[in-house]
Amino acid sequence: MEDNKSVQLFIMGKAYQVPAGLTIMDAMEYAGYRFVRGAGCRSGFCGACATVYRKAGEYRLEFALACQEMVEDGMYLTQLPFTPAPRSEYALETLDPRENVLLQYYPEVARCVSCNTCTKSCPQDIEVMDYIQAALRGDVAKTAELSFDCIQCGLCTMRCPADIKHYHVAQLARRLYGRYQSPVPEHLTDRLEEIAAGTFDGEIEEMMAMSLDDLKRRYAKRTIEEGSE
Amino acid sequence: MTAERLIGGYPASMRESIEKVAASRAKRLKAGPPAPLDAAGREEILQKFHPDYKGEKKRAVKVGPSAGELMPHEVADLLEAHPVVDPASIDLAHPDLSVKVLILGGGGAGSVAALFAREEGIPTDQILITTKLRHGDCNSIMAQGGIQAADRPQDSPAIHYLDVLGGGHYTNQPELVEGLVHDAPMIIDWHERLGVMYDKVDGSYLEAHGGGTSRMRMHSAKDYTGMEIMRVLRDEVRNLGIPVLEFSPAAELLLDERGHAAGAVLYNMETEEYVVVKADAVVMATGGFGRLHIQGFPTTNHYGATADGLVLAYRAGARLIDMDSVQYHPTGVAYPAAILGQLATEKLRNQGAVPVNADGEAFVYPLEPRDVEAAAIIRECYERGKGVTTPSGVRGVWLDTPMIEEIHGKGTIKKRLAAMWMMWNRHDIDITVDPALVFPTLHYQNGGIEIKADASTQIPGLFAGGECEGGVHGKNRLMGNSLLDYNVYGRRAGRSAAGWAKEHAAGELSLAHVTAYENGLKQAKIKTDRKAPLLLPDYRSEAVRARAVRIL
Amino acid sequence: MKGIAYFPGCSLKDTAKDFETSARAVMEALGLPLVELERWNCCGTVYSLAADDLMHQLASMRDLIRTQEMGEPEVVAACAMCYNTLKRVSLRVNADVEARDKMNAFMNKETDYEGSIEVRHLLEILRDRIGWERVSERVTQPLDGLAVAPYYGCTLVRPREAGIDDPDAPTVMRDLIEALGATAVPFPFATECCGSYQVVDRRDLVIERSDRVVRSARRAHAQVIVTSCPLCQHNLEQAQQELGGETIPVLYFTQLVAAAFGVEAGELPAAITARPAAAGETGRGN
Repeated sequence: MEDNKSVQLFIMGKAYQVPAGLTIMDAMEYAGYRFVRGAGCRSGFCGACATVYRKAGEYRLEFALACQEMVEDGMYLTQLPFTPAPRSEYALETLDPRENVLLQYYPEVARCVSCNTCTKSCPQDIEVMDYIQAALRGDVAKTAELSFDCIQCGLCTMRCPADIKHYHVAQLARRLYGRYQSPVPEHLTDRLEEIAAGTFDGEIEEMMAMSLDDLKRRYAKRTIEEGSE
Repeated sequence: MTAERLIGGYPASMRESIEKVAASRAKRLKAGPPAPLDAAGREEILQKFHPDYKGEKKRAVKVGPSAGELMPHEVADLLEAHPVVDPASIDLAHPDLSVKVLILGGGGAGSVAALFAREEGIPTDQILITTKLRHGDCNSIMAQGGIQAADRPQDSPAIHYLDVLGGGHYTNQPELVEGLVHDAPMIIDWHERLGVMYDKVDGSYLEAHGGGTSRMRMHSAKDYTGMEIMRVLRDEVRNLGIPVLEFSPAAELLLDERGHAAGAVLYNMETEEYVVVKADAVVMATGGFGRLHIQGFPTTNHYGATADGLVLAYRAGARLIDMDSVQYHPTGVAYPAAILGQLATEKLRNQGAVPVNADGEAFVYPLEPRDVEAAAIIRECYERGKGVTTPSGVRGVWLDTPMIEEIHGKGTIKKRLAAMWMMWNRHDIDITVDPALVFPTLHYQNGGIEIKADASTQIPGLFAGGECEGGVHGKNRLMGNSLLDYNVYGRRAGRSAAGWAKEHAAGELSLAHVTAYENGLKQAKIKTDRKAPLLLPDYRSEAVRARAVRIL
Repeated sequence: MKGIAYFPGCSLKDTAKDFETSARAVMEALGLPLVELERWNCCGTVYSLAADDLMHQLASMRDLIRTQEMGEPEVVAACAMCYNTLKRVSLRVNADVEARDKMNAFMNKETDYEGSIEVRHLLEILRDRIGWERVSERVTQPLDGLAVAPYYGCTLVRPREAGIDDPDAPTVMRDLIEALGATAVPFPFATECCGSYQVVDRRDLVIERSDRVVRSARRAHAQVIVTSCPLCQHNLEQAQQELGGETIPVLYFTQLVAAAFGVEAGELPAAITARPAAAGETGRGN
């Protein structure tokens, strides 16, 4: 063990002694919790383990992912495994990207008062307020860019005084960008035509019927494209 | 024992080695990495060092359709286990729900299957996705580096085919590989229409190499590729209003009197009730098995990856294929201990980071196929003794991440590998400046339920897509082909299921196959308390488990 | 830095793009380019002006901090509403140390606002920094004979401490119009409210008020009305669309200047582009 210390952890107000050097998630399991809600990918990508806590002696609330955040002595925590944030339904292919679609589907974005509470509650260090401001001005590209690392944990939405559903706004912005502002490369379209025309069928069928030795020989003769992109 | 002082996130005792890595960097950048191994070299290193080759860690499973085949003990244990539900206690006469297409699993494959079942004309309210955790809690969402598709002029599906076959040691099912590479560009196109944000530069995709690829065809969305795709798929499922039942894993498959798949018995993990779902077609999309911690390895997998689908399908009579082969991702986090085994994407290597030993020497071509790369790292740490040992006793090698900044310019890591940067930065380690410590971690189920090119299984009406099925990757999957697999075979499974459901209706529901399986265990003289499916791993401490009682 | 720190505001990026386009072109032509704050947020408008509520003043204060971080002493806005909001918040937080300290403490991870940023309106800069003489010199297509009604609305001149001119008898727009060679027509409703945000729930009120402004401009035989606020522009135009009558186009003042300079002016009405004097000149504007 890295060090022999143990720390005191308050899980929903109840004190437990756990080894130092663990994540909040591991520490809670050590203490005896078996997660049903509140554990997902356990790697920081899914937002299932959104945790709100205070450090000993501090008045501010802090926000983290239980699977990534290390325990500290006196940490006082709870989890928010679900955010009741309704999302608007839309059919992406019918949306007109020239209009401010974001404001249309999520008009409460206009209630943003720039308090920055959302940014402070984001465990991914996203400038949430900035992307909501971009959404307010109809800047889809900026909203998509700034919100990209969002794991949709919901902490921003839970804390927002204007009840904005940031991560839903951002999801719409990213899909709008992906479909309407990021054109499909021509070579993909060309390749689809070739495949439809059966251009590669012969070569693949040949390999499907090939002997093991012939395949190994062909594999060994491959040229490897240069470069790391 | 006082805690060691940390410098830049690393204990002072590890700094000496880090300095050696920094000292040799310029020379290594100039010289280029070690050359790749030839076929014989690959074979040798695998035999000696890859965990798959430890005979004592596997056994021939004694029951079921694949009896006699070798599987890791952890998997065989689940197949040689009793059901979690007693068939006698389940009332099948009055199903709680009745749908045309039931999809077990709310990850990538399940979501894709649902979208295509609907596109094939199954009404929305006749499709049901049921999932153990939340919709999107899956391995698909944590895939990082990329998805393969041969869409550039200098590449072709035929070249992709050859890459896949060689990487899989030629044990792949040819028609499944054909399906994979044939459908790949179409999947990318479909994603474009859904609004997935693939990395592009000057209007073209940013495409990279993966281990074992001969062309750069890895499409990425930073190092959040899996998350970006999964978010969009999930959003679309929600837009269409396809019903998703969360926290309700399947505890048993249902067959009808003809032996056709006819639904499932679900278990509501929150209310502890069972739910009987009658379905005309069933899609298995239950993902992987990392939480079985094969050979005691840590894992990259999500909380619910416990091979449930394998157990259910096996009991119903489906054969499994290539279960003797397990993928260990070469670069799992080795330090800090708190995040041991979490995934460090192969993209780090395709952007230029090279594995380096404790003395600052490169020792392996950075983009060998994963099994070879993992074996090389294990050899370096254990046979050659040139790994770094952390204060918690874990051995690992360096992945020289600052090389990426040297090759592609300052700021590349924060831009293209944002998730990786953040993962270590949370522990005060800055991978733009210091290398990262890695060691192989349990990652992917290479094999699984046997399927045909249309994603059908031996059981009429049961289809499978994604990590839970096998034959696509043979004995070793290449980077970027798992995201592709779940899209291609999730789609085929959804379409095939829709086609089947239009022509067939489920008959009388039955759990007779479970009773028959139990008899099989008795006949094979298997005496055990084990029950399967596992549903969730148990990480409570020993002290707690020793005193835990169920009173309520 | 060459230029002046510039706060665009939401409207100028979305529904009032012509205002920004022309403003940029005009200031470029006058040698004092607008340098947009790299990062800015909505000023908050009516929310930010609730006196007893510090929370809603944060929005504008953040933009003052952005200006401070840029190392600039002042920030200019073209939208009169944004100007008014930013100005009034700045007056408060520059003077009231306690309020400022509270807000800095609340924002926590934000740079502390030191209280010294000045907020300007673009007309102030034209009048006090550039000067009418230099504006006149830059004119290449004088707007001779064009009758322009200068519409101030509320936010340019009220309340007194925020206003850039006398609230009853302002002259800054008249001076600008004359510097461009056009004729400023006096019209008594120049500083009357168009109805502003009431358009959201008391549309009838707004149409009535805006209609009175337009009719006043019509009686003065104005050919165009110029304004400095996207909401005024919207309301005055809406009233005309709804009630009919002879249409008077409502432009942003910067578009008038841009037309006279022969630089990018956004979409211009026929009243300017099809003037008899314009026929012989190299076409500009559209």
